[in-house]
Amino acid sequence: MILKILRTGFLLLFLAGSSPIIAEEDPKTQLKSTIDAILDTLRNKKLATDERQKKITDLINDRFDFAKMSQQTLAINWKKASKEQKNKFIELFAKSLQSSYMGRLEAYTNETVEFTKEKIKNKKAKINTLIITKTIEIPINYKLHNKNNKWLIYDVVIEEVSLIRSYRSSYQNIVKKEGIEGLLTKMEKKLAGAS
Amino acid sequence: MNFNRYPPLISLFGLLLCTSLFSAVIQAENNPVDEPTLVENDDDMFDDDFDDDFSDDFDDDFDDAPPPLVIHDPLEPLNRGMFWFNDKLYFYALKPVAKTYRYIPEPIRISLSNFLSNLTTPIRFVNALMQGKVNDAGNEMGRFFINTIVGVGGLFDPARKYVGLRKKEEDFGQTLGVLGIKPGPYLVIPFVGPSNTRDGVGYVVDTLTDPIGIVWQGRDYWAVKVTDTVNQISLDKDTYEAITGDALDPYLFVRDAYMQNRAGKVNK
Repeated sequence: MILKILRTGFLLLFLAGSSPIIAEEDPKTQLKSTIDAILDTLRNKKLATDERQKKITDLINDRFDFAKMSQQTLAINWKKASKEQKNKFIELFAKSLQSSYMGRLEAYTNETVEFTKEKIKNKKAKINTLIITKTIEIPINYKLHNKNNKWLIYDVVIEEVSLIRSYRSSYQNIVKKEGIEGLLTKMEKKLAGAS
Repeated sequence: MNFNRYPPLISLFGLLLCTSLFSAVIQAENNPVDEPTLVENDDDMFDDDFDDDFSDDFDDDFDDAPPPLVIHDPLEPLNRGMFWFNDKLYFYALKPVAKTYRYIPEPIRISLSNFLSNLTTPIRFVNALMQGKVNDAGNEMGRFFINTIVGVGGLFDPARKYVGLRKKEEDFGQTLGVLGIKPGPYLVIPFVGPSNTRDGVGYVVDTLTDPIGIVWQGRDYWAVKVTDTVNQISLDKDTYEAITGDALDPYLFVRDAYMQNRAGKVNK
């Protein structure tokens, strides 16, 4: 009898001890917390503009895997690039994605975001969301992968259009004509012009 | 707004449309390229089910990443010209008009959009059927009855709001795609925008069978179409500016995005 209680006790202890590992946050919860935080920040009228931007940039940096995105965008040109070029590209690409993603979310600050579907397999996940506007629904799907127990976005697919794919082919065209240096110069100019 | 000024513009547009379509077809015949458009690549692993999908080739080793979307664009110089034209048309004509148009209270603009969209239900219904999407066809039929009767002739969209029936975008270009017809060369059609040979044909067929054309004929039809376009732009949140503003080469970005979007819709 005592043995049984002890055994149950051990079992319970064991379960309790392991539960934090089981309760590791799923990709949807992690993604949702980021999107909600960004939208909250956008809606927060009390924040000064640069303060708000800083906060959102931090939130985006925390959830996007820009290194992986850069690698996939440059694709075959990635291995041809030098280490400095790679780092430069990651920096510039991250900046340009931050501003476009922020700009798009900003346009839809007051709409609701609905999480429709999620698929997880091993270390990858695809989460489908819909932005519900007054007239239409805009499907935005996120592709995430798990890196050190954290789910990071490595592609955003809006209306079937993958950001990575679109950038990849236009960047490839530029690299073909002007080389990686040419691409970096163009990106730098664009960013300088935009801000 | 006086639409009597539009007809010359419209016939010009028709002419241009015809020539660009013809030239594309001729081009395609002279030049029977191996399947033109999409080289399916890595990302597709996500689109299907997961069986063997999230394979590791995606993970650490990008060296063998397959080539990106390959688009057949033999008319690129002409297309770039048309893209430039449409871009200017957007920024100097449509957008300013749409901005002024925004003075009309939004609920009215939304109702106009709902009304015209409700009228075009048969296009979506028939195309859904032709693609074998019986559920979507039923969805469109349900929407039509609910919105026509409860939504006051389509001015409101109670089917979406209260029943959760959302509009399914279907057109003849998609139907052709589902039937296995390849997109063919990329085309930029003046006044219309990015397209390809298949979707251009689809656009002509959709226009010829457009129920709005039964209600309004000739000039009136195009007046309604122009109003619809301006109305849509007024409701839109500057998507075009966002896309083209960020891109290093807007032509390439739009071309790629368009082809991906259409391929995605056909495969849906």
